Amino acid sequence: MSYRKLVGATALLTVALLGAAVPAGAQAAPALPCSAASTVKEKLPNGTTWQLCWRIHDKAGLMLEKVFVSTKLNPQPVQVLDSIRLAQLHVPYDTGDMEFDDLTDLGMGGYFLETLDGDDCQGGSARVGSDGSGDPQLRKVLCVSAEPSGLAYRGREQNWDENGETSVLSSKQGHDLVLRTISKLSWYEYVTEFRLHDDGQISARLGATGDLAPETEADAARGWPIGKGADYKATMHYHNAFWRVDFNLDGKGGERVDQYDTTLDGRGEMTAKLKTTRTAIAKEGTFSKVNQRWWRVTSQSSKNTDGHPRSYELVTGGDDRYEGHPETKPDVTFSQKNPCDKYASGNASDPECPVDNRTVLDFVKDKEKMTDPVMWVRVGFHHVPRDEDQSPMPMHWQGFDLVPRDFTAMNQLTPDERAGENGNPQPEPSDEPSEPVPSSAQPVPSGAGG
Amino acid sequence: MTRFRQWAWGLGIATTSAVTAFGVAAWQANAAPTAPTPTVAAEQPRVTDPSPLPEAATGRGSDALTSGEVATARAVALTPQLAAEAEDVTGKAGPEYLSAEVDPEAGGRQAELYFYDYKTEKLVKQVVDLKTGKLAKSFAATGMQPPASEQETKTALELLVADPLGQSLAGMDGLVPTAHIYTAKPADQGASQCGKSRCVQLIVQTEDGEFLSVSEFVVDLSGRTVARLK
Repeated sequence: MSYRKLVGATALLTVALLGAAVPAGAQAAPALPCSAASTVKEKLPNGTTWQLCWRIHDKAGLMLEKVFVSTKLNPQPVQVLDSIRLAQLHVPYDTGDMEFDDLTDLGMGGYFLETLDGDDCQGGSARVGSDGSGDPQLRKVLCVSAEPSGLAYRGREQNWDENGETSVLSSKQGHDLVLRTISKLSWYEYVTEFRLHDDGQISARLGATGDLAPETEADAARGWPIGKGADYKATMHYHNAFWRVDFNLDGKGGERVDQYDTTLDGRGEMTAKLKTTRTAIAKEGTFSKVNQRWWRVTSQSSKNTDGHPRSYELVTGGDDRYEGHPETKPDVTFSQKNPCDKYASGNASDPECPVDNRTVLDFVKDKEKMTDPVMWVRVGFHHVPRDEDQSPMPMHWQGFDLVPRDFTAMNQLTPDERAGENGNPQPEPSDEPSEPVPSSAQPVPSGAGG
Repeated sequence: MTRFRQWAWGLGIATTSAVTAFGVAAWQANAAPTAPTPTVAAEQPRVTDPSPLPEAATGRGSDALTSGEVATARAVALTPQLAAEAEDVTGKAGPEYLSAEVDPEAGGRQAELYFYDYKTEKLVKQVVDLKTGKLAKSFAATGMQPPASEQETKTALELLVADPLGQSLAGMDGLVPTAHIYTAKPADQGASQCGKSRCVQLIVQTEDGEFLSVSEFVVDLSGRTVARLK
């Protein structure tokens, strides 16, 4: 018997026990605090189900609330987010003559929200809901679709035994549940999109299309020639998007924020040693990327079945930092949850709240100790126009990912043949593979409850 | 009753065949050492496509306010005093109605309604308990300028068309205005009162899709004047 075959048998046993460990009724749906019309619940081909409440806010646009995920391996729905939404869209032009706080000067919802049309929701389901205006209209505003996301994973396990070489291939196409709305703010049109991946990742992004601002000519330092010759230079500008993210991991709340930094730490025998350290962020503040820095929001009371605290990691990608305002410089702000903190800038819009609480910097200025952190993520895009921007402008995107870190004990899409492979990667078989004891031999209960 | 759009996925038969195809390919991969990499058609899987439900009389939890709830809340929020003492953008009695939103964190169904009173230059927030149908809380403050209502946008365009600065506009026919709230910046020379006053920047699109002006004009809805920036 080959070593791998033995592992396979162990894996089968583990799967059987996994199945048995799911208590009756464990797959009960969470009681979402919204009606059927404002619920999205969809199962992706790999068995992952996302369920949530949605609505349109007149200023913030599409809001997702009470976001739960369950997977084939972890069938009990577990909450990830209390809510996620845009928190500002600040658009300053490089000439310094024009800037807009689109959420609070216009609003992404209400009559700026487009009714889905044409190819807007091809292959998906155009859901009807209130546009969030002061005179609410029921319209087809939310597109829900499931979209292939490429190769989710691939691994070929090769074995050699008396019968020669055999292999087991694990290769799987991934899918995202995609929710999107479109807002038309005069010439620009914005797509608010949330992608809920089948492996538990959540991606938030903003797409911009439509047309360049007309009649905004600039010099060569601030504009780019479009059209024949160099007669007209379209003005360069920024799209500074902010999102508000409120986690509620496993419905227990009270998360902590961790920052990790990796630095050089002397030499090993062959190359540099590196050191990764954690800094607990206990108090409100603003934070920015340096090389090898990242953050995660970590549950203090919910663990996966490996005994590791569940968390989600903030992963940022392409970003242009706008230096023209102090509040657009930090990459991320963590603040204690406060109903008066609504918009990353232009926040003073509620008479119940202080008039001087204007930006994310005000949210954190008293450095309050956080017991319920809210994450404000900023991602900027400096748009240097190009000939191809007309017309309409090809969609350009900006956003970030929330990646599960120890939310479950293993890859949420782990196929049956890999179910036993949790823990120290398998050692190579020795000449006498008498008693291989994979670290995964201990069956684990379903990863849902804690 | 759930129904699927035919164009979304054929008739669901395609789903079955795709899954079967993958199953066979996977089985082959397990059996044969040199099995080809399984290929799965990257077709878009279907999602449910529920038929739209008629609007409920009242919402639940974090549902958006229904039009019935907004109507109820507006009637409660517009107290006799507010109706008599406040002024809207046209100068009529009663405040300018701006927006209504649900507050799901309040515990029950609560509507937050926002009005602007042009007489006192105050933003008014009326919190209505939809269960009891009573005004729960009331707030007002100056220096707060949420987005403009449609009536304010229309009024801004009227003021611009009537102003010498807007002479390039031959009447309002076919014009589509967008009104950005404008708050004066420190370097602002032309409209420094904006912020305390309620002002908008107008972007006007003509019937043929052309945009006429960009950021030049600021309409002070409180003072009923038009200013040119720069």
